Amino acid sequence: MPEFATLASPYSMPAALHGDVTDSEEQTQTRALNQFLAGVELKAFKIAQAALRHEDDSLDAVQDAMLQLARAYSKRPPEEWKPLFYRILENRIRDMQRRRTVRGRIMAWLPVRGEDDDEEFDPVAQAPSLEPQPVRRLELDEAVGALEQALGRLPRRQQQAFLLRTLEGLDVAETAHAMGCSEGSVKTHYFRAVQALRAQLGELYT
Amino acid sequence: MSPVDEDLTQFERNARAILEESARRIDGRTRSRLNQARHAALAAAGTRRRAWWAGFTLMPAAGAVAAALLVAVVLWHREPAGTEPLALDGQHPAVEDMELLTDNDSIDLMEEWDGSFYEWAAAQSDGGAESNS
Repeated sequence: MPEFATLASPYSMPAALHGDVTDSEEQTQTRALNQFLAGVELKAFKIAQAALRHEDDSLDAVQDAMLQLARAYSKRPPEEWKPLFYRILENRIRDMQRRRTVRGRIMAWLPVRGEDDDEEFDPVAQAPSLEPQPVRRLELDEAVGALEQALGRLPRRQQQAFLLRTLEGLDVAETAHAMGCSEGSVKTHYFRAVQALRAQLGELYT
Repeated sequence: MSPVDEDLTQFERNARAILEESARRIDGRTRSRLNQARHAALAAAGTRRRAWWAGFTLMPAAGAVAAALLVAVVLWHREPAGTEPLALDGQHPAVEDMELLTDNDSIDLMEEWDGSFYEWAAAQSDGGAESNS
């Protein structure tokens, strides 16, 4: 059987005709999981990127979260997937940040290097685009950049609460589950995040 | 709802719109890698399910092997009940050695050891036994 046979199910004969109810349930579940992951992957990447500020690390964190959700929790009801997925993602992000801290301490003892090997300078990528951009797009670019910078300056828990509530649209209870804290803590972190962002970006929005 | 809440709601709406725009701008390379990661996760979920069923169907065979191993281990370590430890050929059992050491008569006997007499007596005893049989 091919590895992704379950993904090809919409184009094959319906499982009910074979009388295999279990297989049909698995195909339905796989389709639901695929739909769920496709729906959260971009936002999850942005959340990981806001915390890790490194594209490859963010991709790794999202991939690990997807794998763990699929392996360990795919049998759970789909309405539980979102808080579980973000809980796993937050754990992965925290692990990576800890590893990075340890690596930083070790590297501090080593001779200083000129540049980070992973960040090679690409003049083509760094060059400004020659395409004329409308004013609205430029304003949006500025707004995105300013918000991302302001988010980067927030304490981790405030950043986490703000992104889960605002970008992903989780309610307070789901955010509390994803963050592993009480609903009261979520409200506090979220309120402080909004206050801090408004203090920095207020004139941009009002 | 107070004016402060209204402002907060507007701020949240603006922030959400900007963050969603930011997510929409994710480049094709990253989208492709996320797509690959998603397919890998779905494949892993399928693999996990197959492994679970495979483990279930192999359960009787694994149980039989475990039972056979258990029986083998029990038989290997089991000693026949009611039998005493055997003495090695040409050696006295340990209990007999202890009696020899603790018995004064036996020590005296050993001190006055007359080898030739005992060899003769043994030969007579064996010969007598053979002649009787």
